Amino acid sequence: MSGISIAIIGAALCAALAGCGSAIGVMAAGKAAAGVASEKPELFGKLLVLQALPGTQGIYGFLTAILIMVRIGVLGGAAVELSISQGWQFFGAAMPMAIAGLVSGICQGKAAVGAIHMTGKQPDASGKGITMTALVETYAILALLASILVLFGIQL
Amino acid sequence: MIVPMKFVTLVLMRDDREAVLRALQKTGSMMLCEQEGAVRAGTENTAALRRMEKLLSDLKPYAPKAGMFAQKPQVDTAALETPRTDDTETAEQMEKLLARIEKIKERLKQVSDRQTALFPWARLSASSADLEDGAYTSYTLGTVPAKQFAAFSAYCTENGAALETVSETEQTVYVVLAVLKEASLQDLAEYGFQKYTLPPFDGTVETGLRNIADEQNRLQTELDEATAQLQKYTAESLAPQVLCEHYRAESDIEDTPFLSTEQTVLFSGWVPEKRVAEVEQAVQSVTDVYDLIARDPEENEDVPTELENKKLVSQFEGITNMFSVPTYGGYDPNAVMAPWYWIIFGLMMGDAGYGLMMVILIAIVKKIMKPKGDTKKLINVLLYSSITTILCGVLFGSYFGETWHPILFSPLENPVQMLIVTLGVGVAHIFTGLFVQIVNHIKAGHWLDAICDQVSWILVISGICLIFVKPARTVGMVLAIVGAVIILLTAGRAKKGIFGKITGGLVGLYGITNYLSDILSYSRILALSLATGVVGMVMNMLAGMIQSSVIGFILSLVIYVVGHVFNLVLGLLSAYVHDCRLQYIEFYGKFYEGSGKLFKPLSINPKYIQIQENGGN
Repeated sequence: MSGISIAIIGAALCAALAGCGSAIGVMAAGKAAAGVASEKPELFGKLLVLQALPGTQGIYGFLTAILIMVRIGVLGGAAVELSISQGWQFFGAAMPMAIAGLVSGICQGKAAVGAIHMTGKQPDASGKGITMTALVETYAILALLASILVLFGIQL
Repeated sequence: MIVPMKFVTLVLMRDDREAVLRALQKTGSMMLCEQEGAVRAGTENTAALRRMEKLLSDLKPYAPKAGMFAQKPQVDTAALETPRTDDTETAEQMEKLLARIEKIKERLKQVSDRQTALFPWARLSASSADLEDGAYTSYTLGTVPAKQFAAFSAYCTENGAALETVSETEQTVYVVLAVLKEASLQDLAEYGFQKYTLPPFDGTVETGLRNIADEQNRLQTELDEATAQLQKYTAESLAPQVLCEHYRAESDIEDTPFLSTEQTVLFSGWVPEKRVAEVEQAVQSVTDVYDLIARDPEENEDVPTELENKKLVSQFEGITNMFSVPTYGGYDPNAVMAPWYWIIFGLMMGDAGYGLMMVILIAIVKKIMKPKGDTKKLINVLLYSSITTILCGVLFGSYFGETWHPILFSPLENPVQMLIVTLGVGVAHIFTGLFVQIVNHIKAGHWLDAICDQVSWILVISGICLIFVKPARTVGMVLAIVGAVIILLTAGRAKKGIFGKITGGLVGLYGITNYLSDILSYSRILALSLATGVVGMVMNMLAGMIQSSVIGFILSLVIYVVGHVFNLVLGLLSAYVHDCRLQYIEFYGKFYEGSGKLFKPLSINPKYIQIQENGGN
């Protein structure tokens, strides 16, 4: 396998796994939000914000994938010759975001479900619910940061 | 700043109670409070309010669709105070129409049930009178499963019963059975025969069905008429909304607790010191026979908090209140929090193009929707933050995701440098929190606490930061060690016994991990600003790829618009949420608790309409 294939697999995993995490998270939150909205349709705006929160992991994964592809020249520009070792380096750079994105997306979805139920009972507490849900995202952000720093640290 | 409050007690003649409360409601300056043995005037208006709320929710399917940016209709206060009689009539008419529509729908359902029951028998030529039992025979209508029909029909002929098939479907055969009275057909049920009772009809089934169709048409026209009339009412009249708000205001008055004797009533509540005169004026406008006593709050009293800040700062109050309302007599953190929120928001968005888009979009929203209250404040926060967003965009050279002549450097090309900047912002932010706590301690006379708990940490953190700067390395080390020693020696000072003091010191020093994770938490600023920039860049790239033909060029414009708006909305949500988090956990964690409750005066708070600013008086 050539270096570039390994790097592309890394980028693909990053977008795919983080995307799956967000999809599951947003789905769980969406189901809860739909339930609450059926009783209290006027809360739709607040619920939508809460439902959107677990969606960021997918964006971060996508972003990391794009950055990898730009770096290895697959997107815009000529492809760089990569050694097998460099390929694995890119693969490694993708992993924090891929794995943490998958898991934190699902977990943040669960936290969002709780916050949505709370908003259903106490609409004024939605701000607190947003904060609680956002705490989970910290780890996705740290993973994104790790991925980006490793990515830019790789010598070509 | 937290506004000083007075506890006001009002004694009035019983007859003046409502008029005075109404005047107070208009000024919106007094928050009435519960007292021991207090009574309430009644629940009539609350019941009327519920009735109107129900009417409004029932009317929803008939009301014209309000646009997304539609404003609430404006009504002046006079109309709210005394509802016009024709408004009451209109509301009653609406209720009647709704009831009528409900009735017609029920009738329609009954009729259509009858139709379904009669339909299989349409070809039955006999009238209902023909089917009555004769002298020797009796008639039975029923169904037989198609599979068992052959066996059933054989059984019937054997036992001397005549059978007529009226209609059949794939599963079921509908039959009329004529049986001699003396013949016994015990085993009909074994063949799956089920008796069928026809709903009442005149003449033959066919005419019955025709009558039903006629009735359906008649009911449908009636329904259409009633619906059209209701739609016309809802489109033209604001009666239910106005009445609803009238009863809401009245039920707030009705729900105020008061003590009473035969002739007088007494009620009390909190009034901001500056507005006591306003309250007295409101009372005077109604009556001369009154007594008003204002006193300062006593210790341990649960005083509500009213915040008063400069206009710029006051827009950020909602963010603090979402976390926790400052306690009365406590510290209002808004003035220190606001500039930090403003700067960090800009760093997180960090794109001049998006900043411009924010200004334009917010200007449009403010123009069309004219938001009020908390929403208005939040929108203003975003508007102010668009300034820092543009500034950061220019400093770091980011324009709609494209890098162009950065004044400092581009975060995308130099992420490590940007990381250092964000951590620097974090240290400065946390130090601000610590300084505020030092000032609070000193004001309270707790010098020792200020030095042991805050100054020591400032020394440790600034020392560690200096270690990374080559020329100041030794200075940094000294500072860090001095700070650490202070913590080690004093963190356990509240504990009893020498053992407790030593472990307390060690545990205190372990707090360094908290500070470290707090500071590292600010790296999210870098991650979010990169996220905004890179997604924008991707949109540009996608659009750029298809620009080779004319159609492609037009499509690329769509990608530009949709992509950047999507990215902007997402970026705003993230920046808002994570900026709040940095304030709540990293910043407020250092000095602010606050567990007060907001000052919510008796006032007019309409939900469905807006009070005309210059209307009424």
